[in-house]
Amino acid sequence: MPTPVPQPVLSRNGAGRGESTQTPIRCLVVDDHPAILAGLRGLLAGEPGVDVVAAVDNAEDALQRAEHEQLDVAIVDYQLPGHSGLWLSRKLKRLAHPPAVLIYSAFSDYMLAAACVVAEADGLLSKSALGSDLNAAVHRAADGLIRLPPVPPTLADGLRRRFDSLEQAIFGLLLAGIDRGEIARTLQIEAHEMETRQWTMLRKLERLD
Amino acid sequence: MPLVYRVAGVNALVLLATVAVTLVVLAPRKFSSFAADEAVVLAASLVLVALLNLILLRRIVRPLETLTSLARRVDLTRPGARMPGASATSEAGELALTFNEMLARLEIERREATGRVLEAQESERLRIALELHDQVGQELTAVLLGLARVRGLLEPPLRADVEDIQETVRASLEDVRRIALELRPEALDDLGLISALAVLCERFAQRTGIEVTQRFDEEVPELGREEELVVYRVTQEALTNVARHSGADHAELRLQARDGGLTVTVSDRGRGLGADGEPGTGIRGMRERAALISATLDVGPNPDGVGCAVTLQVEGVAAEARA
Repeated sequence: MPTPVPQPVLSRNGAGRGESTQTPIRCLVVDDHPAILAGLRGLLAGEPGVDVVAAVDNAEDALQRAEHEQLDVAIVDYQLPGHSGLWLSRKLKRLAHPPAVLIYSAFSDYMLAAACVVAEADGLLSKSALGSDLNAAVHRAADGLIRLPPVPPTLADGLRRRFDSLEQAIFGLLLAGIDRGEIARTLQIEAHEMETRQWTMLRKLERLD
Repeated sequence: MPLVYRVAGVNALVLLATVAVTLVVLAPRKFSSFAADEAVVLAASLVLVALLNLILLRRIVRPLETLTSLARRVDLTRPGARMPGASATSEAGELALTFNEMLARLEIERREATGRVLEAQESERLRIALELHDQVGQELTAVLLGLARVRGLLEPPLRADVEDIQETVRASLEDVRRIALELRPEALDDLGLISALAVLCERFAQRTGIEVTQRFDEEVPELGREEELVVYRVTQEALTNVARHSGADHAELRLQARDGGLTVTVSDRGRGLGADGEPGTGIRGMRERAALISATLDVGPNPDGVGCAVTLQVEGVAAEARA
């Protein structure tokens, strides 16, 4: 007799639709490599319960589409021409109905994971992932079940050196998985200050400054 | 025969000839009545003069011998060897002075040449890493996605074949990614030396299964970018050697602050150096990198004679200022 599995908490950053939903998962795919974009779209189109709403090759177009469509999951290449995938992640998370964001990268290691935490992405997807893993990740992301890999302390220490003391505090709390509204209240900073800080931190992590 | 004996011999012969000629020319008649005791005194003083000559000659020639032996064993990848007694007061001293100047010039030239080579090598590595990542990696990803789609359209027997191909492509994609990461010490720029080394050890352990114990001093001195790059690359190469040759399942990376400088030690308790003890290209490369920043590199067994230890000693800024 199988034991009933407890229902997990489904929502994270407002993403997630709940497992009972029968409507297909609405996906946005962003990658600047034409063959990969076509491959991703083809793969997801063949997956039952998944609907590829848009497939675009840059962050700006992706944001424009996202503003006009209701999305559940966005699969975003990290390296894009112009704005990066992490920029897009933060922008998507400011929408009225933010989708779950999966960053799709060849170098899906801790370093990127740390930047993803600041960019509020939900998961990291390796470009060497098999098709089945990819499909599974989309379903799990839609259900709000995906998590970023933990950032090792030695690496977090190295990254901290780039931040001032307030940013270090924000970074530490974000790494610990604390909700950003809660962080702002704990550190007694305004929401817009938190927003500016996160952009600064992201720029510092991506070495754009 | 050493130069000193040849000159001393010639001098002694000349002296003997002079004495003989003098005796014959000046005192031919007295020659027959030459007293035995006078002959002894003459012979003794002749020997004495010859010995004195030899001793003086040796004093003059010794710096030359030192110079010869230094010139034979001088190794520009281990800079710092110099002639003693270099001063402009004697000819030998001046020779030593000139020789030392030449060594210093050669060392600087070599360091500059090595620097250019390493710089070219680093930028070439970066280019290859980017190419691997942006071209080969992307295309393999596209292949992988295409295969996943095809797999869905196939019946079971063919499906298994496609799965095998998928696995191969995935493995080579991982290889491409690993090679690109090794070629490009991006972590160094991003994280600073200490964390970059920690990441290096973690990745190394992940890939080879060889655990690396990290023993870092609390306070290690700040190094320049070139020094950091050399420390990083030497550690990387030393770890690669551990994986390739030692047969050990465990290694240790140690960073010690010492007199304002930094000592980096990568050690294992494996098979140790080969019996021939000939440095391989890996060790040569490490030594060249070390020479570039005037650091010293030693490769040998651990103090207790087991395994192998690569020790890199980088002088700190403070130590250089003092010198």
